[in-house]
Amino acid sequence: MTPPPPATAVADMAPPAAPPADSRINLDILSPTRSVTAPYFMLLALAVLGVVQAAAVLAYQTYVGLGVAGYQAPIFWGVYIITFVFWIGIGHAGTLISAILFLFRAKWRNAINRGAEAMTVFAVLTAALFPLIHIGRLWKFYFLIPYPNQRGLWVNFKSPLLWDVFAVNTYMTISIVFFYVGLIPDIAIARDRSTGLKKVVFSILALGWQGSSRQWKAHSRTVLHLSGLATPLVLSVHSVVSWDFAMSIIPGWHATIFAPYFVAGAIFGGFAMVLTVMIPVRRIFGLENYIHHYHFENMARFLLFTSWIVGYAYGIEYFIAWYSGVEPEQTSFWLRAFGPYRYSTWIMIFCNVIAPQVLWIRKLRLHVPTLFVLSVIINIGMWFERYVIIITSLSRDFVPAAWGIYTPSPVELSVLVGSFCWFSMFFLLFIKVFPIIAITEVKELAIHEKAHGEAH
Amino acid sequence: MPTLVSVFERPDDVASVVRKLKGRGFDGIDTYSPAPFEEIEKAVDPKPSIVRLFTLIGGLAGVFTGFFIQIWMSLDWPVKIAGKPFASIPPYVIIGFELTILFGGLLTFIGMLVAGGLYPRFKLDSTYSTRFSAEEFGVVVTCKDRDVAEVDNLLRSGSAKEVTLVDA
Repeated sequence: MTPPPPATAVADMAPPAAPPADSRINLDILSPTRSVTAPYFMLLALAVLGVVQAAAVLAYQTYVGLGVAGYQAPIFWGVYIITFVFWIGIGHAGTLISAILFLFRAKWRNAINRGAEAMTVFAVLTAALFPLIHIGRLWKFYFLIPYPNQRGLWVNFKSPLLWDVFAVNTYMTISIVFFYVGLIPDIAIARDRSTGLKKVVFSILALGWQGSSRQWKAHSRTVLHLSGLATPLVLSVHSVVSWDFAMSIIPGWHATIFAPYFVAGAIFGGFAMVLTVMIPVRRIFGLENYIHHYHFENMARFLLFTSWIVGYAYGIEYFIAWYSGVEPEQTSFWLRAFGPYRYSTWIMIFCNVIAPQVLWIRKLRLHVPTLFVLSVIINIGMWFERYVIIITSLSRDFVPAAWGIYTPSPVELSVLVGSFCWFSMFFLLFIKVFPIIAITEVKELAIHEKAHGEAH
Repeated sequence: MPTLVSVFERPDDVASVVRKLKGRGFDGIDTYSPAPFEEIEKAVDPKPSIVRLFTLIGGLAGVFTGFFIQIWMSLDWPVKIAGKPFASIPPYVIIGFELTILFGGLLTFIGMLVAGGLYPRFKLDSTYSTRFSAEEFGVVVTCKDRDVAEVDNLLRSGSAKEVTLVDA
């Protein structure tokens, strides 16, 4: 160590000649927010177009009535509920990555948690629309909320559908809060490096963040507590969604395995969606230095593991149907595999159980294009899983005279397409404005590594 | 009172220099850090954060509200369903739980704003600089005129890259 200069040095201390160059990490991760090209705007335009067509179709449905949605006796839960469960499930992986892996101190989450959290928020925002679309009379959605009214009437707190209202709204609120808390230090970084209107907006959003020890202390505590709260929350949300089905007595729904089965399925589908979203983002914005093959391999392992849980649940459902000796249950499951909806069942089994087995091979776990294709296959499979659960059970009830066949109507399909566009629109706008990787978390590791390297 | 702004490169240097300054009785110390480092937070203020109090109060308020609204509303509009009690606790656990999380989470957020002194602002501290949102650390010490030389010496011997005197 060099000897300290004399105390008088203070007086003639000049400010540094040239400010040091900005951190490499800042420049790299903020670059997507600075430079976007024509393909980006084309994609965004496409997404907005999809949202506009779905809004138009929705206006038509609202005007004419739910009959255009393909609902007819005995099937009154269709594509809208399937898509609701699908998007709620997608959100779960984000919370798993940001909260549960945080509590387990799994450091590899740092590179993907921001993207996954953004995905969660946008997926839940998408999902939350579907119960409203499904009720048909959009303008009466507030009937779901217990509010004082002149009829002296309250909601039924014993109904799983009402539990769902509370679970989904809590999940949406907490996801947004968690997401925003994580963003604050990164918004401050962006604020320090922007001008004009952007600086004004970022200054407001950054809440005067300067990275002082007092602020970091409050921030770290808050992240810890929110993780502790979000972990049981995420498990509860899909359990409650599963009870929308399991609390009824419909054959194929009335099963105790539903809650863990749904949660595992949600994490499985959500991890697939993280891959579907992050692989192109990494490639387009050149973030290969931050999101490594190692991150993808870990996610691939999660996929393989949850695929087995989901496969086990499929198997145990059939076993219990047979073992219960209940004829409607047995018939329902027989018709799932060999009845009019057999295609959806076999698509589900292929996509969710058979296809992910390629991940046993390490080379394929590390092969990004394979992972991308597989993640899309799994997304399709998870949508069909909900299709199988909802449609086959509702259409093959206890009384054969009341059986029916459901075909998704063009109105429903265009709203389904619109939901993907709605999600993509939010995600694309997010990439343009906010850093897609948690800068301060990446920095924390980088600084640790640097200090460690110097010490040895 | 004079304020000294010093720049550091490593978190452990910051923590040790803060501990040294505190050992010598200097209290007006603040740090800027580009990422969270527990050792620095502990060195500046070893007391646990008050955020946990907010989480606790929020959670308790949530579980209370959850059960209260459900029991009261079911008794206010009694509907007999399958011979079950009007206010039956087991199904009410779910909304009670959800509201625990909701209120707990929201109050935790408010706790962060209070504990961290966070609010929308355009004018930041004069000692703050954008290099602290790059990869450098800052230690800011406010002391009496006659202590400037000693603080300067301590900061430099703690391997500060630069020390600047600001008259604030």
